[in-house]
Amino acid sequence: MGGSYALLVEGLKVWYGRRQVLRGISFKLPPSSILAVMGPSGSGKSTLLRAINRLLDYVPDARVEGRVEVFGLDVYRENPYRVRRLVGMVFQTPNPFPHMSIYDNVAVGPRLHGLAKSRDELDRIVEWALKAAMLWDEVKDRLHEPPTKLSGGQQQRLSLARALALKPSILLLDEPTANIDPTNARRLEESIRRVAVEDGVTVVMVTHTPQQALRISDYVAFIYEGKLVEFGRTREVALNPSHKLTAMYFRGEL
Amino acid sequence: MAEVRALLDILFKGCVLLIAFLALVPVLHLTLAAIVNGGPVIASAGLKFFTEVPPPPGNRTYGILTSLIGTIELALLSTLVGVPISFMAAVLVVEFPHSRLGRIVRLLSRTLLELPTILIGMFVFTIIVVPLGSPSILAASIALALVMLPYVTTYIEAALSSVPRTYREAGLALGMTKARVAFTIVVPIAVRGVVTGILVGLAKAMGETAPLLFTLGRARTSLNVDPLGPGDAIPLLIYDYAQAPYENLREVAWGATLVLITLFLLVYVLARLTIRGVRV
Repeated sequence: MGGSYALLVEGLKVWYGRRQVLRGISFKLPPSSILAVMGPSGSGKSTLLRAINRLLDYVPDARVEGRVEVFGLDVYRENPYRVRRLVGMVFQTPNPFPHMSIYDNVAVGPRLHGLAKSRDELDRIVEWALKAAMLWDEVKDRLHEPPTKLSGGQQQRLSLARALALKPSILLLDEPTANIDPTNARRLEESIRRVAVEDGVTVVMVTHTPQQALRISDYVAFIYEGKLVEFGRTREVALNPSHKLTAMYFRGEL
Repeated sequence: MAEVRALLDILFKGCVLLIAFLALVPVLHLTLAAIVNGGPVIASAGLKFFTEVPPPPGNRTYGILTSLIGTIELALLSTLVGVPISFMAAVLVVEFPHSRLGRIVRLLSRTLLELPTILIGMFVFTIIVVPLGSPSILAASIALALVMLPYVTTYIEAALSSVPRTYREAGLALGMTKARVAFTIVVPIAVRGVVTGILVGLAKAMGETAPLLFTLGRARTSLNVDPLGPGDAIPLLIYDYAQAPYENLREVAWGATLVLITLFLLVYVLARLTIRGVRV
């Protein structure tokens, strides 16, 4: 019955070996909204993201229990490659592939999934994705140069463009601004906000700063020691946190 | 107190330098000896040292044509046999470390590394030389391939392991399979390290003697390049001639030593250069 939700997580539990990292997480997220996932380091935020696109499949001793649905699609019963075609991800460190050109970095996903019928169509997808990541103007004359020449912040926006090129329904972001300068961080936030509003992409973003959550998110989730202690509309939670841990976190005491 | 510490520091640095120098002495001595003893031999023979077959005992002519060609052919053939296997083995071990096959291959590779090379020669003698009826360049190449296999595998493994995990995750998150990530992301990023591994294997194949004793034969006085026929190699020639009772043969051995060291240095310099260019 998750059809009207972009993302439904129900009773999600994750173990690494014997250590339980997520202890039963449940929430529902409506389409084209932005969810900020907060919590102290080691609370299981990154694990939550990797459970949604099944990257945990590649962690040898990880075990997942519970249910994840993406637009009604049962992630753990679906072909994982199809899931990842719908769920894009941007990581904490900018990681454009250093051996590919800027163009190829963006084109690699559409090529993999056969999204473009012609060279022209591929060009259009690449241009759209780079514009959505607000990087087009800076790189349009050097599309065939290696990405290693770009600054860290530009590289992170290239990583965003690479994920957007697949036109994902859901975008996962793992502290995407943690390693880049404030100007680039602002631009990244702006493009995220825009793809949510204009292209209807649903965003799940792990963030380490309450300010960032307040700036861009519609919903916040607060995770503490593997439990979801708070979930709600950003404004309401910020004004009136129902849990004292959340309040402490917003005041910067945690 | 400060003076004592500074003094100790100097003393320690001196010790480290001295010990490092001691470690280099054999290399320096060997290179010098090869130049001093082999240089004049090559100089007096001129280009003929490379274009003529080894002389009969007691004669005053020099040449290592057959061994030189043999060493080059062996290096190329064994690389051709050994590198693809090493490459696949390394990909398997690094990218699928928890698969049963990955674990078995890792164990085999480590075991092969410890195996005395003379045993590898005997093994190839039993399974290839005996059935074929005679020693051959092919049999020797296979023996050399087995010797270089674990080295090249280890080098390529190290190169692949040095590629940060985040690139793998990025590929997987785009919907790539693990194999696709391995071959289109990890290997291209690590390409220089992979090339270095191949060059190290090449050097290894050029320098080995023991695996050739039972497998190569000694086609020294007439040139044969047919892989199914017998051949010769520089290390084998050095081994034989260095203990020969004729002075001219011992001189040929010195000249051959200088050639071998030069080939070695060339390959190592090439390997160094590729390492230096490693990108993130």
